[in-house]
Amino acid sequence: MCNALGIINYDDASAYVEGLQDYRPMPSVSFLGRYRLIDFALSNMTNSGIKHVQVYVKSKPRSVFEHLGTGRQYNINSKRGKLHLLSGEEPIHSEIYNHDITAFMQNMQFIEEAKYPYVVIAPSFMVTKIDFNDVMAAHMESGADVTVAYKTIDNAKEAFIGINTLTLDRDKRIVKFEKNQGKFKNRHVSLRMYIMRKNLFIDLVKLAQKTSSMYTLSDIIGDNLNTLNVVGYNHKGYVACINNLDQYFKANMELICRDKASELFDPKWPFHTRTNDSCPTQYSPLADVKFSTIANGCFIEGEVRNSVLGRGVIVKPGAVIENCIVLPGAFIGENAKLKYCIVDKNAKIMHVKELLGTPEDLIYVKRRDTL
Amino acid sequence: MRQHSMVAMILAGGRGSRLLELTNKVAKPAVYFGGKYRIIDFPLSNCANSDINIVGVLTQYESVLLNSYVTQDQRWGLDAKDSGIFVLPPREKSEGFGLYRGTADAITQNIDFLDQYDPEYVLILSGDHIYKMDYDKMLSDHKKNNADITIAVLEVPLKEASRFGIMNADETGRIVEFEEKPKQPKSNLASMGVYIFNWKLLRKMLVDDVKAEKSSHDFGKDIIPGALNSGKRLFTHRFKGYWKDVGTIDSLWEANMDLIYRGSELDLSDPAWKIYTEDITLPSQYIGRNATVKNAYINQGCIVDGHVENSVLFTSCVVEEGAKVIDSVLMPGAIVRKGALVQRVIVADEVEIKENAKVGKPGDGEIELIHRNVHA
Repeated sequence: MCNALGIINYDDASAYVEGLQDYRPMPSVSFLGRYRLIDFALSNMTNSGIKHVQVYVKSKPRSVFEHLGTGRQYNINSKRGKLHLLSGEEPIHSEIYNHDITAFMQNMQFIEEAKYPYVVIAPSFMVTKIDFNDVMAAHMESGADVTVAYKTIDNAKEAFIGINTLTLDRDKRIVKFEKNQGKFKNRHVSLRMYIMRKNLFIDLVKLAQKTSSMYTLSDIIGDNLNTLNVVGYNHKGYVACINNLDQYFKANMELICRDKASELFDPKWPFHTRTNDSCPTQYSPLADVKFSTIANGCFIEGEVRNSVLGRGVIVKPGAVIENCIVLPGAFIGENAKLKYCIVDKNAKIMHVKELLGTPEDLIYVKRRDTL
Repeated sequence: MRQHSMVAMILAGGRGSRLLELTNKVAKPAVYFGGKYRIIDFPLSNCANSDINIVGVLTQYESVLLNSYVTQDQRWGLDAKDSGIFVLPPREKSEGFGLYRGTADAITQNIDFLDQYDPEYVLILSGDHIYKMDYDKMLSDHKKNNADITIAVLEVPLKEASRFGIMNADETGRIVEFEEKPKQPKSNLASMGVYIFNWKLLRKMLVDDVKAEKSSHDFGKDIIPGALNSGKRLFTHRFKGYWKDVGTIDSLWEANMDLIYRGSELDLSDPAWKIYTEDITLPSQYIGRNATVKNAYINQGCIVDGHVENSVLFTSCVVEEGAKVIDSVLMPGAIVRKGALVQRVIVADEVEIKENAKVGKPGDGEIELIHRNVHA
């Protein structure tokens, strides 16, 4: 049981899923047919026994509020636990000041009041399975001031762009933070997950604000690598860093594969979400589906290949969907051919014959759009 | 306490012994149906969708699973401050243990529960039928007719009418005669086991029924005929739509098969009348590279890499490469290994059909229930 306050952090400019995020903040971006990104971070916290979680929402909070509700579906206890949805309390005059430190300062009272000695901080755009008890145990054992979860990757030229890479000394102490510019293949990358004493966290937030009104939490930790003992925690499991549309697409696609999916999905570590009470999915005699992940409530009469279908998607006869992500409630009309498309919620593809994207050039169909 | 105009009481104590091993450890209302549901989800969701806030569930036979299942009232949205699902199993009383001796007796023994809410009307339901029905419309009929009792009826083919309780009604819908399973039915209006009573009247009838020595304390056998004989105003409420008593392996299989064809009368995809159930925490279904899926109804958590045709797959079923599942129902967690052939059967939950094993046979014979692992 983690004796910590959970904080699901703001996403800064280094994480932005083009198109999808025009309608919703990062936490409520739909993922793998039936989830929203925040389900992973929040389930990781509650599965780790964290009872009180603060979720910081940057903008357009409606979908996040609606999705999370009281947090009951994530096993947040209605009496002894708390799911705190927080957004900026005061107007922010420029987007450059709209970052995590501003949000923490504006809600400082609620951080100070929380009766836990530690904080566990995680972003919503890292899709992974992580037990924070393990990170906490490592934190205690090393005696570090701050523990930063990281992953060692060999595709840093494409993934985790704009995220800090870590330079570690022999004792896993972090000596340098450096933004990943995509120049090297093999790197240790920060998962932006931190554990530290709550008091230290508060001090760092206040210090950040004093130092520069544009400073973020990772900036201030990076600044203090010499004065604080900041240690890395090597997280070995599957991680998808959903910080742009390409990575969003890639993560959805690679998780169709059972071997990859089983690295993330473990019956003993369930990822909770809000139920939609959809009925099972119906396949007509004309359905032809291979290598795809299909959510409930769909009605499929066409051909689906290498694709992810969200809840309640309708695929009419003669339609062909290949290498696509179709978000909940979309309608793919008769004889429509779609390749490498991301079709947003409730969009209707009616009289268009072909929407042919490529792996390099994905086509995005807007929410509620009718084509 | 706020008055609830109509309180529902669901009779869910029966075993359903013709469902064989499926009801060895659970009561019939808890039997799985339709890819992700249990039978009792239907009356419970109907109550929720009809704006009934207080629902009592009367359980008796193997009630542990059923009791814990329905107590989670947020599943049906009945967890608001003034609503709830209340489990009412038999209890020990000062005069001894109060086993329910019949459907009416089950209500009699819970008069104290109903008195707490002091409803104007009581809706009596059966926990083992599959249908979607707006009980509020039935209540409107009840009020319009100024009825004492309203009974929901369904038109059945005349040749099947002798399997049901048949209502003979005049042109205004007033019931003039009730015949339980008549050899020569005079009408084809079958009782669905859905009753609305004026609570004050029902309360009195139940109190009298307890004292009647010859009574079997049953709604169909005692209460309804008694009310008719004493000149009470009994009316029918015509229900049009899908309704099925899934009392046998064959009818359970058939009702599941009814879901496969869109446009069949039982459509569970209507957003205006959802059937609610347990919230399942599992990823979406996966259809593999070698899979062929035609005419099927499949739930989340399934992993299909074989051939599935005319079948219903419940939560977390596995159909491996080269396996064939045809005209069958796989209940939650059933596994069909490589090269196995499954045809015209119901595979019970968590049962495994091992590699190259064969179960069931084509044709139109009886449906087999596979309740133990099968080896090749």
